[in-house]
Amino acid sequence: MIGRIGRWFDERGKLSKLWQSQMVDYKVPKNLTFPYAFGVMATVAFLIQIISGIFLVMYYQPNIHTAFDSVNYTIMKEIPFMWLIRHIHAAGANFFLAIVYLHIFAGIYYNAYKKPRELTWIVGFFIYFVLLATALSGYLLPWGQLSYWGMVVTTEIPTSIDSAPIIGKLKIGETISVWMKGGYELGQITLGRFFGLHIWLLPLILLGLVGFHFYLIRAHGITSPDGREIDKKKEGVPFHPYMTLKEGVYLMVYLAIFFFFVFFYMKHFLPADNYDPADPFKTPAHIAPEWYLLAFYAIFRSIPNKFLGFVMFSVALLLLLILPFLDFSPLRSTRNRPLFFVMFVVLVISSMALTILGSMSPTPTVAFLGLIFTLTFVSFFISLPIISILELRKYKAEGGSKND
Amino acid sequence: METSRRDILGFAVGGLGVLGAIGVLYPIVKVLSPSQASLAGAKVEVDVSQIPDLHVRVVSWKGKPVFVVKLPQGFQWNGKRINDQNAKLLQGQDAYALVAVCTHLGCVPLWKPQGEGEFKYPVFHCPCHGGFYSPWGDNIAGPPPRPLYVPPQKREGNKLIIGEEGFVKELT
Amino acid sequence: MIKTIFFTVLTLAFFYIVWINNIFAPHEKYEMPPEHRMIAMDYKNAKEGRELFIQNCASCHSVRYDAIYPAQVQANPMLKQLQEKYGKVLPRDVYEAVFMNDLNSMKESYGKIPPDLSTIYLVKGPEYLYNFILEPQKVLPGTAMPPVMTGRPEDTAKIIAYLMSVSEPSPAEKAKRNIMGVVTIGYLIVMGILIWIWRERILKRMGLH
Repeated sequence: MIGRIGRWFDERGKLSKLWQSQMVDYKVPKNLTFPYAFGVMATVAFLIQIISGIFLVMYYQPNIHTAFDSVNYTIMKEIPFMWLIRHIHAAGANFFLAIVYLHIFAGIYYNAYKKPRELTWIVGFFIYFVLLATALSGYLLPWGQLSYWGMVVTTEIPTSIDSAPIIGKLKIGETISVWMKGGYELGQITLGRFFGLHIWLLPLILLGLVGFHFYLIRAHGITSPDGREIDKKKEGVPFHPYMTLKEGVYLMVYLAIFFFFVFFYMKHFLPADNYDPADPFKTPAHIAPEWYLLAFYAIFRSIPNKFLGFVMFSVALLLLLILPFLDFSPLRSTRNRPLFFVMFVVLVISSMALTILGSMSPTPTVAFLGLIFTLTFVSFFISLPIISILELRKYKAEGGSKND
Repeated sequence: METSRRDILGFAVGGLGVLGAIGVLYPIVKVLSPSQASLAGAKVEVDVSQIPDLHVRVVSWKGKPVFVVKLPQGFQWNGKRINDQNAKLLQGQDAYALVAVCTHLGCVPLWKPQGEGEFKYPVFHCPCHGGFYSPWGDNIAGPPPRPLYVPPQKREGNKLIIGEEGFVKELT
Repeated sequence: MIKTIFFTVLTLAFFYIVWINNIFAPHEKYEMPPEHRMIAMDYKNAKEGRELFIQNCASCHSVRYDAIYPAQVQANPMLKQLQEKYGKVLPRDVYEAVFMNDLNSMKESYGKIPPDLSTIYLVKGPEYLYNFILEPQKVLPGTAMPPVMTGRPEDTAKIIAYLMSVSEPSPAEKAKRNIMGVVTIGYLIVMGILIWIWRERILKRMGLH
C-alpha cells in the first residue's frame, strides 16, 4: 500500500529522478578534505536557526517594556522546554558564524574563489555580510544591557563619516544613524524595526543568497584540494552515498559539540551582563562587541583617527569582497603555492590576534599591537597581486603546465 | 550472513533516526502545550453580599467567564424543566457559580431576570443560537446538549470561593 | 599532515580563548569564604533565604519573577486586584504604570528606583553579591544601598541562595537537563559511528574503497 502510494507520488513528482541527477550522478573529487564539510555544517546551522527562531517568535514580545521579561521569564522559566530552544538559538548563532568563518578561510586556503567561481565568492561575501546584520539585529531583541548598548555603539558607527575633513560638513553619518534608529534615541521604533528585520527581511535575503550560492556551486562543480579540475565523466565519486555519508558523520560530530555547549556551557553565549534589563542611563562597565566582530572592532579602535578607523574597517571588508580579483595567479590551491601558504598563515594569525585584542581593555600597548596586526592583515591582500605576478612568471617559464 | 548483518545495520541506523526525530519532536510538542500558568487552579473569591438579589455578576476563573448568581430568599421558579441535574446539585444555595459558556458552541449567555420570548420568568438566554437555561443552568430549550458546567465552589459566610472543593466538589 | 595539526590546534586554541576562557579580557575577582559559599550554593537554603529577603530587603527591592514587591507597593490595594487580573507575576508595563507614584517616591529617597533583583544573581554572581550586600560602600562607593546585612555573613549567604533559586533551575530540573544533554550527545555519537560503519560497507559493495 505504502509502496503504491510512493510509486504514484514518484511518477508525478519525479523526485527520484531529481535525487538521481542531483545526488548520485553528481560527481565530486574523491580526495575532498574535512574543511569541505563546513558548507554543509553551515547549512545545517542555518536550518537550526530558522526552526528554533520560529518557536521563539511565538513567545517573544517586541515591546521595550515586556521584551526582557518575555525572554527571561516566559521563555526561560515558564514554558516547558523553551529554555532549550533559546539555548539552541543563542549557541546556534555563534556556531553558525564560527562555521561561516571556517568556511571562508577554507575557501581562501583552497583558492575556491578563482575563475569561474568569482561570483560564488562574491555571493558568499554578501551572505556573510547579511549574516552579520542578522546577528546584530537579533542581539538587540532580549533588550538587556548588552543588547541596548551594543546597538547604541553600532548605530553610532556611521557618525564616523562626519569627522571626515570636507564631507563631514554634510552630516551624512548622523542622518544615517538617526535613520537606522528611527529617531534620536534607541526605543520602541528601533526595537520594532530590528525585530522585523531579524525575523523576516534578513532571513529571506539570506535564503535567496544561499539558494544562489548553492546553484553556483552545482553549476561549476566543486574544487578539489589539490587544485586540479576533475574530469567529471571519468573520475570523481558519486556525491551520494560517498560524500553524503561522510559529511553525515562530520555533522554528527559537529552536532555533538554543539549540544555539549547547549546543555552544559552557555556562559559565553548568554553573557551575564545581558541579564540586566536595558537602562538608557547606565553603560555597563565592559562593553565589547560579540566575538565575531572583535577583529573589525580592533581595527577600528587601533587607529587614532575616528574617520580613518572607519575607512580602514570598510577597506578590510572591501578587500575581502574583491579577493578573487587580487589573486590572478594561474596556480590553484595553497598546496601548490608555498608563498601563498606563508601569507595565509599571516592572515589567519592576524585575524585571530585582532579578535583577541578587540576583547582586551584599550591600553596603548593593545592599540599599538592592533595597528601592527591591522597592517599584517592588510598585507595579505596587498601581497596577493605580487605573489600572482611571481607565480605567473614561473608558470610561463615552465611552459604553462597546469597546476601539477 | 553478510546480508543479514547489513540489514541489522540498516535497521539500527533507520531506527535510531526515527528515535532522533521523536526526540526532536518531543520538546517542540511540549513547547506548544498549554502553559502552566493557564492550567494552574486559580481561586476566585466573591463577596456575595455585594450582589443584589436576582442579579448575576461575571467573574473570571481560569481565563473563563463565570456567572455568580444571587437568588432571593425562598426563590420559587416554576419554569419548564427537561432535566434538573444542576438544580439538584445547587439545591438550597442562594448564591452559586456557573461557567458562563454555552454548551452548544461556546458563546456567553445573557441573564434575563424578566424573561425572554415565550419564557416569562428568569432565564439565561444564549444569543448565538437561541439556547435557554434555567437560573441553575439546566438547559430548557434550544440547541444546548447539556446544562452549563458548574465549577468547584465553596461557601464561607458571605464569601463564595470558586475553584475550591465545597458544596460542589469538581467541575460537573 | 603537519599543516592539518597546525591549523587544528590553532583553531581550537582560538575558540578556547574566545568562547571558554579569555585570559586576556579584563576580569573582576571577588572572594567568598568557602563555608559561606556552600550555604549560598545550597538550594535548600532558598526557603529561609526568602524569609530573610522579605524581612531585610523587600522594603525597597522587588523580585518580580517571584511576586515579591517593595513594601510600599505591597501596601497598595491595587496590587491584589491586579494580581487577580494578571496573575501573581505582573507584566512590567502594568506594574510600572500602576505603581508609578510608589516607585517615584522611592526614587526620591534613594536617588534611583532600587533595582528589581529577579535576575541579579545571573548578572553579578554569588561572590560579588556576597561582598556587596555585606559592605556596599566598600564595593561600590557612593551607592544608595544601606549596609543592612553587615556582620551577618550567613544570612547574606542564605539570601544569595534565594536569589539563585529565582534565577537558576531547581536541582531536579538541572538533573533532568543534564541527563537530556548526555543522552543527546550519546545519541549523536552512536549515530555517527553507525553511519560510518554503514558507509564503509556500502563503499565496499560499490567498489569505491
